[in-house]
Amino acid sequence: MNPHLPHATHIAVRDGHILGVGTVDDIDGWQNAWGPLELNADFADKTLLPGFIEGHSHMMEGMFWDYHYVGYYDREGPDGTVWPGLKSIDEVVAKLKEIQAARKDIDTPLIAWGFDPIYFTDRRMNAADLDSVATDCSVIVLHASLHILNANNFVMEAADVKGADNSEFIRRDESGQATGEFLGQLGYYMAMRTTGINLLAIASSPETLVNFANVARQTGVTTATDLVNPMPAGSEQAMREAVDADDFPMRLVVAFQGNSMEPAEGVARMQELQTSNSDKLRFSLVKMVADGSIQGFSARLKWPHYYNGAPNGLWYIEPERLGDYLKAFTEAGIQVHVHTNGDECTEVALDKIEEALRAHPWPDHRHTLQHCQMATRSDFKRMKSLGVGVNLFSNHLYYWGDAHINITMGPERAARLDDAGGALAEGVPLAIHSDAPVTALAPLFTAWCAVNRLSSGGVTLGNGTQNISVEEALYAITMGAAYSLKMENEIGSLEAGKRADIAILADDPIDVGAEGLKDISVIGTMVGGHVHLNQGRAR
Amino acid sequence: MNRLPQIPLTIISGFLGSGKTSLLNHLLTQSGLENAPSEKSGRRITAMVNDFGALNIDAELIAAKHGNQIALANGCVCCSIGDDLMRSFMDVMQQSPLPDHIVIEASGVAEPRRIAGFASVDPQLRLDGIVTLVDASAHNVHSKDPYLADNYAKQIEAAHLLLISKPDLADTATLENLESELAAQKPDVPMAHVTHGVLPIDLVLGLNGDHKIPQPQEIIEHGFVQWAGHLTDIPRAALIAKLENLRPHVLRAKGVLRDAEGAYVLHLAGGLITTAPYAGKASGHFVIIGQPQMPDAAALEKIFRQNEAA
Ligand SMILES: [Zn+2]
Repeated sequence: MNPHLPHATHIAVRDGHILGVGTVDDIDGWQNAWGPLELNADFADKTLLPGFIEGHSHMMEGMFWDYHYVGYYDREGPDGTVWPGLKSIDEVVAKLKEIQAARKDIDTPLIAWGFDPIYFTDRRMNAADLDSVATDCSVIVLHASLHILNANNFVMEAADVKGADNSEFIRRDESGQATGEFLGQLGYYMAMRTTGINLLAIASSPETLVNFANVARQTGVTTATDLVNPMPAGSEQAMREAVDADDFPMRLVVAFQGNSMEPAEGVARMQELQTSNSDKLRFSLVKMVADGSIQGFSARLKWPHYYNGAPNGLWYIEPERLGDYLKAFTEAGIQVHVHTNGDECTEVALDKIEEALRAHPWPDHRHTLQHCQMATRSDFKRMKSLGVGVNLFSNHLYYWGDAHINITMGPERAARLDDAGGALAEGVPLAIHSDAPVTALAPLFTAWCAVNRLSSGGVTLGNGTQNISVEEALYAITMGAAYSLKMENEIGSLEAGKRADIAILADDPIDVGAEGLKDISVIGTMVGGHVHLNQGRAR
Repeated sequence: MNRLPQIPLTIISGFLGSGKTSLLNHLLTQSGLENAPSEKSGRRITAMVNDFGALNIDAELIAAKHGNQIALANGCVCCSIGDDLMRSFMDVMQQSPLPDHIVIEASGVAEPRRIAGFASVDPQLRLDGIVTLVDASAHNVHSKDPYLADNYAKQIEAAHLLLISKPDLADTATLENLESELAAQKPDVPMAHVTHGVLPIDLVLGLNGDHKIPQPQEIIEHGFVQWAGHLTDIPRAALIAKLENLRPHVLRAKGVLRDAEGAYVLHLAGGLITTAPYAGKASGHFVIIGQPQMPDAAALEKIFRQNEAA
């Protein structure tokens, strides 16, 4: 990603930083000043890239490893154990039976995650499947999308689903029987209240943070974000301790939840948090959430709204209040990332950013729109004029592309979903993301999505102008993301003086090309000169 | 199946600036057990709010403060919700003891029906009612807002009780138009005016929204009389005498006041007048509400200002 030296054979590292990059002769000269350098040929046949940067993920990703993985693909846990992919509903059920038989506290809820029904088209999982695992305790299987879960009859009876007549959160078959699927936020709430397990409370423990880092590390990530955290008073100490430890294999950028307090207090809290910044932990930005999600019909769309006629979505904050926050943070010189999904929301966010900048001009604010999935070329032109960057949710193309074509946006507007090509053509600084745990955290997979624009149903979205090249995608998951975090001087490329953050890959993505991008094995990473190797194998 | 006692949930909905916070503040400070003339009318409310700061609860009412919760001396609790409603409901429903009533201050852009969904899935909750505040002075702006008009309509549509706030800031024609518009849209929903959030509590809590229990129509339809103001140095005996004179039409009064003996709090609730010494600095704030037969606000102002020390 260094334009002066895009390819090299050797790299030298000292004191956590890159001493030099080039040929063995180029590096040689450094020994005069720095003493003898030791040649390490362990990765001589591998490809080194700048460590990947996940510009929009959530620490909650680390939470799931307290539970049991039942996804379709092999997956390596934070401790290096490989969890084999399960290729049918029967395999999932058999695995759960095995887990239940080995459990000591068999009365406590059995919780599994990562189940992805996209791959099982013949039938859906039902309560009877999970009753065969256990009938006298709760059995809950969270879907990979986190919008649906399956439960056994023990849960359904406790939740009294027979009495509930609202099909919004309980799936029913043709005869009106509840099938065991709980849908959406209310479905999750119901299941949590029934089992007494508060999945959300666990999401912020130090163990979760370590698990999150290890999951990210395995995909070549050397810097990830926790893109919205209310950071209650004093919580930064524990976080510093965990992240600064040498064996914590990642840098972490935390976005403070803007609306967790009034604008003026938020500014003060951010200034306080910034005094806890370290080499590996940064409190450098504020996140504001302005609308919901497209697939949840809670994003704010412009007329003619949703393709299937669903009513327009939800504002998550009053536009006026969003403006107040943007003004306060802009005045204080604090960067803001705004979550906008629908195109109406994107327009309002840009209006409010413009108002804030008129009141408090700031040449390099680098406010960024996160997701921004429905942006038009006109929106990108305006972002360019205002100096606003974008971090697109490219994984959506794969996971919900078919739903956007057929249900939410319709084919015409779905063609421009997460238009990375359009952003670059209009000159908008671009990053791409997974929003983990909403979709799988793996920057090479995200890059694959942006390059190929292929849905899980096998449909290509758009007409080719929205695709980006492999090189552009690799830039987006390194320098692009670094720029969105105002860290491009420290990370994102391999050049003398920058931090020694490296992704070690089995193959060169340029050689592998568009199609195989997502399947490249990640051997390990280096973070600040410390090497972290994958023990099992990557997904 | 489950026969757990169900906690009523009241949702206060309305746009930014429509007076939700004032109403909530009123409910919270007037509702606790210690204000209650009987077991029956005292409620420990847990309020879920967007922001403590805006609530501006008298410091003397706050018993404890930790994290995102404030416990009030009267048994009520206040929790801030951030932007994760599910997390907040999980937290509130794990409180011990559980509250007598939950009141949630919805954000100005929330769809109250969606929030009500939590009551429909949680066997320990039931929807008591959705109270929507309509700002009389901004109705014409809000109902035509290019980004928010649909939200505005949904909030009105969902209401079990419509409260017209800031009626004093709208001219008579505007107010009349608003009232007939709302009446046409929601003919069965009671409507009342509210200023600074001051209303008889039982008007707001106990709507039984999903069970169509008849409302105390006569109170709501004919409105009620209220007056609020600041009184300086008024002897408590004189104040009590004035209140006695207003029986039986006076419903409620509260003041944090001062006289020669020092600062004191006065309550009139459920027919009982009580005073107690007050540790902080008296604000002088005084509120009185009564049935329509009570003298009107102008007359009340005269009555209560009469022998105020100059
Ligand atoms: Zn996110």
